[in-house]
Amino acid sequence: MTDLVVDCRGVSRTYGDGVPVRALDSVDFQVRRGEFVSLSGPSGSGKSTLLNLIGGLDRPTRGEVRVDGELLNALSEPALADLRLHKLGFVFQAYNLIPVLSARENVEFILQLQGVGAAERRRRALEMLEALGLAGLSDRRPGELSGGQQQRVAIARAIVTRPVLLLADEPSANLDSVTTEELLKLLRDLNETQGLTIVTATHDPLVMSYSRRKVKLRDGAVVDDAVVVPV
Amino acid sequence: MPVGLLVSLSARNLFRHRRRNAMLLAAIAVAVAGVTVLNSLVRGMQEDMRDAAVGNLTGHVKVLAPGYRDDPGIMHRFLPGEDWKNAVPGDALAGWAARVVVPAVIMSERETRGLQLVGVNPARESISFLADVPVLGERLNGPGDNRILVGRALADQLETDVGYRVVVITRGADGSTREAGFRVAGIFDADGTALEKAYAFTGLHYVQSLLGTGEVTELSLRLRDDAVTDAVVRDLRARLADLRVLSWQELEPQAAAMYALADTAIYIWFLVMMGALIFGLVNTLITAVMERTRELGMLRAVGMQRGAVLVQVVLESALVMAAGVALGLAAGALLTWMLRDGIDLSRWAAGAELARMSSRLVPRLLPGDLALLAAMSLGFGVLASLYPAWRAVKIEPLEAMRR
Repeated sequence: MTDLVVDCRGVSRTYGDGVPVRALDSVDFQVRRGEFVSLSGPSGSGKSTLLNLIGGLDRPTRGEVRVDGELLNALSEPALADLRLHKLGFVFQAYNLIPVLSARENVEFILQLQGVGAAERRRRALEMLEALGLAGLSDRRPGELSGGQQQRVAIARAIVTRPVLLLADEPSANLDSVTTEELLKLLRDLNETQGLTIVTATHDPLVMSYSRRKVKLRDGAVVDDAVVVPV
Repeated sequence: MPVGLLVSLSARNLFRHRRRNAMLLAAIAVAVAGVTVLNSLVRGMQEDMRDAAVGNLTGHVKVLAPGYRDDPGIMHRFLPGEDWKNAVPGDALAGWAARVVVPAVIMSERETRGLQLVGVNPARESISFLADVPVLGERLNGPGDNRILVGRALADQLETDVGYRVVVITRGADGSTREAGFRVAGIFDADGTALEKAYAFTGLHYVQSLLGTGEVTELSLRLRDDAVTDAVVRDLRARLADLRVLSWQELEPQAAAMYALADTAIYIWFLVMMGALIFGLVNTLITAVMERTRELGMLRAVGMQRGAVLVQVVLESALVMAAGVALGLAAGALLTWMLRDGIDLSRWAAGAELARMSSRLVPRLLPGDLALLAAMSLGFGVLASLYPAWRAVKIEPLEAMRR
C-alpha cells in the first residue's frame, strides 16, 4: 500500500475550444495517508478543479493523477465510477441527499451499490448515524432534517464505505457558523481517531483553521503549501 | 447491478409528483381500458362473422367433388366413405353432415324463384344454423322426410305458408329434369334474409331418390377449435386426393378477409392509442429526468454506473405503465362484463347482415389478447423511456453538480 493517497504530477486542465481557459497549470500536489488538507483560494483559482480531478469526475488535459496508486488517466469511465464507489467518499456543498430515501436509506444506498447484504448494511448505516449523533433521526427524510443534520447524513454516507479518501467541496457553504464548527470537529475527529484522509476545497477560513495542512491556489497554481497546527 | 435498490428508487420517485403521475396513470388506464373494450367488441364481431360463415352450411372444412364449385350440381357428386374420419382426431370434430345441394326452381301458385335445394339428415345438422333457427310449423323429422322447409323471406315472395304445396324442378343425376311436389313443413326465420331466400331444405334420402343417386355433393365438418382447421385440411387433402377439400376461409373469402381485417384493426387502434400516450409518457419522463439532473449527477459522482441510471429511468416508466395497464385492464374487463348481454344492432340490421354479423354484438374477452395487450403496453413503456433514459445517462456528474 502506497503512503501517497493522492499524487498529482504536472497536472493541467484547460477548458474551452475557442479561447482556452487554463484552470490548472502544471500543478504538483501530493497527499499522504491520514492528512487533513484544505485547498483554498479565490474563485477561479483552481481548487474545485483539482478536487474534481482527484475525485475522477474530470480528466486532466496534461499530467498524471494517481489515487491510492491508481493512475486515473488510464481508467475507463466505468472503472472511474468503480473507483469513486469503492475508494472515495464525497461530501458536497448542497448535501445532495436523495429526497425519497430516509437518512438510514441514504447511508445504506451507497453500501447497496457496493453489493453489501441487507443486514450488514443496515447495521453499518445505523452505527454510522449513531456515531454522528443522528441515532434518533434515521427514519426521517432529508426534508425533515436541518441543514447541519443533512450534512452529517452526507458525511455518514461518504464514510460508511470506509473510503481511502474523503473529498469535501465547500462543505460549510450552506451552514451557519455553529453548525460548521460542529461539522469541522466531526471531520477532525474522524481524521484523528480513524486516520481518515480528508481533502476539502473551501473559501471558509473556519474550515481552513481545522485542517492540518493549508494549500493555497491562485490562477491555477499552488502558491502556498503549509502544515499547521489546527485550532 | 443493485436491482432491488433501483426498483425501490424508481417506485418512490413516482410518488414525488403525485398529481402529475396520477394524471399519467389515469391516461394510461383510460387508453388501455378503451383498447380492451374495443378489442372485445372486435373479437365479438369477428367470432360472429366466423360463426355466421361456418354455420351457414359451410362448416370449418368442406369436401366437394372436383368441378362442383364451378358448376354446382348433382353431376359433381361423390360417396364420402369412412376414410376421411381418420384424418380428423376424434376430439377435434364437433360434428359432420353429408348433404346434397343442387340448384333448383321453386314454384308456388303465384311465384317462381331460384334457390339451392338442400337434402339433409336433420339429426346431423347440429353443426349448422338449421339446428337453432326458429321455425314456424314443423322441422324436418328425418332424412326420409319428403316435406320442405323454406325461409320466411322466400315464403313471403312465393306467397306460400305452412301446409301449402310447392313444386321444385331440378336436374337429376342422369341429366334429365326432375320435378316433385312438396308440402311446406315449416318456415324458418334466420338472422337476415339472405339465408331465407337462398336455401330450402328437405330430407337427404328423399332428394337422393328424386335425383336418382345414392351419393352426395358435399361433406361438411364442424371443428371444436378453428385453430386446427388448417391441419385438418392438410390431412384430408392427403387422404382424399381425388376430392376437393376447402377451409371456410377459401369458401367464404369475404368473411375471411373481414376476419383478418378485424385483427389488423385491433392492432392499428392499439398503435394509435399507444402512440398518443407515448408522447405524454416521454414528456413526463424527460421532465422528471431534468428535474433530477443534480441528483442523477450525484448518483454518478458517488459511483453509480451509467447502466444503472438507465435502468432506473426505464424502471420508472415500466412501473407507471404496469400500474396503468393493470388499472386499464381491470376497468376494460369490468366494462366488457357490463356489456355481456351484447349491443343491439337491429337498427343497423342491413349493415350487420352485409358484414355477416348477427343483430346483437356480444363482446368477447380473450385471455391471450389481454396478455398480449399488457406485454405490448409494457414494451411501449420501455420504448418510451429510452430517450429520457439516454438523456439521463448523458448527464455528466460534474456538469450536473454545478447546477
